[in-house]
Amino acid sequence: MRAQEVLEALKEKLGDKLRSPELKVEEIGHRRIRERGFLWAEIEREDLLEAVRALKELGPLHISIISGADVGEKIELIYHFAVGYGTPDGEVMVNLRLTVPKDDPVVPSICSVLPGALTTEREKIEFLGVEFSGIPDARKIFLPDDLEAHPWRKDEPELSQYVRYTVAWEAKKDERGEARA
Amino acid sequence: MSGLNALWQAILVLVGGGAIGFLYKGLDRKLAARLQGRIGPPLRQPVLDVVKLLLKENVVPRTAVPWLFQAAPFLAFVAAVTALLYLPVGSLSPVLHSYGDLVLLLYLLAIPALAMAVGGFASGSPYAVVGAQREIVMMMSYEFPLAIAAVGIAWRLSTLGIGPSFSLATIAANPLWGLVGPLGWIGLFLLFVALLVVTPAELSKIPFDIPEAETEIAGGLLVEYSGVNLALFYLADVIKTLVIAGLVVALFIPYGIAAPLGIAGIGGKILDILFFLVKLFAVIFVAVTVIRVAFARLKVDQVAKLYLLPTTLISLAGLLLLVLDKVVMGG
Amino acid sequence: MKEVRLEPEEMSEKKLEKTCPTCFEVPIGPIHPALKEGIRFTFWVEGEKIKKVDIRPGFMHRGIEFMGTKRNLVQLIYLAERICGICSVSHPLALVQAVEEAAGIEVPPRAQYIRVIIGELERIHSHLLWAGVAAHELGFDTLLHYVWKVREPVLDLLEDITGNRIDYAIPIYGGVRRDIPPEKYPKLKDALRYYRSLVDDFVNFFLRDPSIEARTRDVGILTREEADVLCAVGPTARASGLRKDVRQDWPYFTYPDLEVKALTPEDMGLEVRGDVYDRIVVRLLEVVQSIQIIERCLEEMPEGEITSVPKVAALLAQLKKAEGEGIGRHEAPRGEVIHYIRLEADKEAPVVWKVKAPTYSNFMPWFPMFEDQEIADIPIVAASIDPCICCMERVYLVRGEREEVVWKEELLRLSREKTKRVASRLARHAPWGRKG
Repeated sequence: MRAQEVLEALKEKLGDKLRSPELKVEEIGHRRIRERGFLWAEIEREDLLEAVRALKELGPLHISIISGADVGEKIELIYHFAVGYGTPDGEVMVNLRLTVPKDDPVVPSICSVLPGALTTEREKIEFLGVEFSGIPDARKIFLPDDLEAHPWRKDEPELSQYVRYTVAWEAKKDERGEARA
Repeated sequence: MSGLNALWQAILVLVGGGAIGFLYKGLDRKLAARLQGRIGPPLRQPVLDVVKLLLKENVVPRTAVPWLFQAAPFLAFVAAVTALLYLPVGSLSPVLHSYGDLVLLLYLLAIPALAMAVGGFASGSPYAVVGAQREIVMMMSYEFPLAIAAVGIAWRLSTLGIGPSFSLATIAANPLWGLVGPLGWIGLFLLFVALLVVTPAELSKIPFDIPEAETEIAGGLLVEYSGVNLALFYLADVIKTLVIAGLVVALFIPYGIAAPLGIAGIGGKILDILFFLVKLFAVIFVAVTVIRVAFARLKVDQVAKLYLLPTTLISLAGLLLLVLDKVVMGG
Repeated sequence: MKEVRLEPEEMSEKKLEKTCPTCFEVPIGPIHPALKEGIRFTFWVEGEKIKKVDIRPGFMHRGIEFMGTKRNLVQLIYLAERICGICSVSHPLALVQAVEEAAGIEVPPRAQYIRVIIGELERIHSHLLWAGVAAHELGFDTLLHYVWKVREPVLDLLEDITGNRIDYAIPIYGGVRRDIPPEKYPKLKDALRYYRSLVDDFVNFFLRDPSIEARTRDVGILTREEADVLCAVGPTARASGLRKDVRQDWPYFTYPDLEVKALTPEDMGLEVRGDVYDRIVVRLLEVVQSIQIIERCLEEMPEGEITSVPKVAALLAQLKKAEGEGIGRHEAPRGEVIHYIRLEADKEAPVVWKVKAPTYSNFMPWFPMFEDQEIADIPIVAASIDPCICCMERVYLVRGEREEVVWKEELLRLSREKTKRVASRLARHAPWGRKG
């Protein structure tokens, strides 16, 4: 599948719910030149499930990961999908960007459409403090059960104290006479 | 035979048996390592292992039934050692030949496994419980062919009018191969095969080490045992290996070399004992070492279905052929 | 299509107690002989049958992504290399792609060929390592020793080419750090010939052995549908019949030139069942495929530069100015690796770095695989996806026996105290120690 086709199909299905889509096509290879396409777009959280369903209709759908960051007042999540595996050079990366305010960090869970996303959603809950509505299992996955902090949030008082502590201790290595590794 | 004489003999057999058991255990490990392309531990490694275990703390888990947990290793060890005393060594009669027979030996052989299962249930660990369940299933599948093989031979001897037919000394002194016809010959061979297959199962060695299965249940039955208790189980295993191999030798290859070579007296006896040890080693090498490096561990239902059911059928066929042989040859 | 059960309510402990009063709990891990790394499986079993499983990772979390945002980009490569010891070139390869994408750095063709060669050599050694571990889980130690012995030559070869047996430190932004000079080609070709001659042996030992077949056929089945919706990757997905391989689907490096095809058991003329046996088949096929890819690379590799920015200082300056986002993907031996990175101008460290290792995607497929299996199958099913827990989680918090957090400083102090104590005791009691 060509990246252009994916973009057009998505535009047709989602209309203007797909905000500021941006297509990046590169050429790869030396003897045989192939195209590879990245599609970046923004989307509102209400339209997320619809967009994932639309992607699933386009071809075999794989979710690589949801990456996220604390960007000041808001939390940004990026869903990295790969559409169309199974045909040589047929995969297109579709990256959907989603921002949610910190006082209401609720995002619909996409596990009903793509159950494989559960691991990465659980990770986002504990690391960024977002909530997923309709997630089948919201327990902690990688962090200790009794840790209240969210390590990727930059406004966490408890965690920043831990971090300052560790960083300060690391910095005092020379004073303690340890060789830097 | 006076009681004192028997005592001296018993001590000799136990000390000698222990030493030989350790030697064979070391050889088994060394040869298995060479077969796997490794260097392997030194021959004295089993002794070092036991010495180390004897020096270690004996831990009884909080969830265990203490007296049962502590009694099981002693029971296993004592049963294995007693079984050793019923074994004919070369052309010598067993030390306790006048106090019991083949059937008693079969029971004594079942005790270490039962004791391990009891100890496993008593230790209160889920791994040990799973291991104990597996041990019981294994016992149900391997005891039957073993019993058939032993009883079949004893019965055929009794029909030939040789007695006391259930005494191992009689069986060892009268090799059946020369006394039966061709049908009986095939029957005996089938029983021999069945017994060789049963041997690693009886000793819980790969592919039948299911009750202990290190990668699955972390040692299973033995998971909670440490120190002296573990050393006793280890010793019971060492001795039991000798007894099972000795049983195979006594039932199927009891031939000596002193008589054919015409060497009589004490020299002949020593030669026979040495030859007996060589035969023991051959059985252990074939039935334990080689099989254990050549297979993957099986699952408990696979053992029951794929291996021990055919083995039971083979042993039954062997028994049937012996019966037919009696009919044809007329006893 | 078999419905994939995910609802914990459906199989909750309370309901389980009612429907299965004879069930008992068997914990496997975090420390267990079947597991090479810390992860906890809790199985509810009835007799030998598994009724329910719960998996709890988190024992190996090192906070690497957080550490990454405190380092400059060149240091980051070496951190990425240490995410996993076995796929130690896969993470840097994905990372350099992501950064090259974000900063717009070109890579000369020869460097791309070298990256492919190192990546494929790594696949050979990783699959051989897995084969040995799988044999050990089945209680077949002879095969473990054999396979690990024949794995040595490929490690020696990697050491010869890169200087290290693992953690090769080869990729750098814009190329590679070491060339493979033509004098080394014969050595490489010899090693490939050696592995080619072993393929028949592997097929005999693994695929025609009755005891291995008995233990792996129809064990740990992952159906095609489950693999699809649960987003399985790598050999795990391919063994279920999905032709899913980043090298085939997503053009990067010189893989489009090499015409890599995703391999499933069908390529060996077998019916796809999605069991552990199929996963062995796929990995063996991939060893052969990697040999072919490297041979072709050696034939086609052009002369030329191996990096577009040879000076590290210039590279760092260029990276400092760079701004943007990038994604890098690579098919590691275990499946898809993806790195996402965001760079901001005038910052040496990345602002966001997200790593996904193959086991992360293959975590969910574990659940249907364990369903209705036996206890005896646990080790091989757990190992069949070739798990790399460290990769997945990247100790942050270390807890003592008491319910409180023990920090790194405290831990170091405690361990030093213990070392001192043990040393002094040894000195006093051991016959070889000094008196006093």
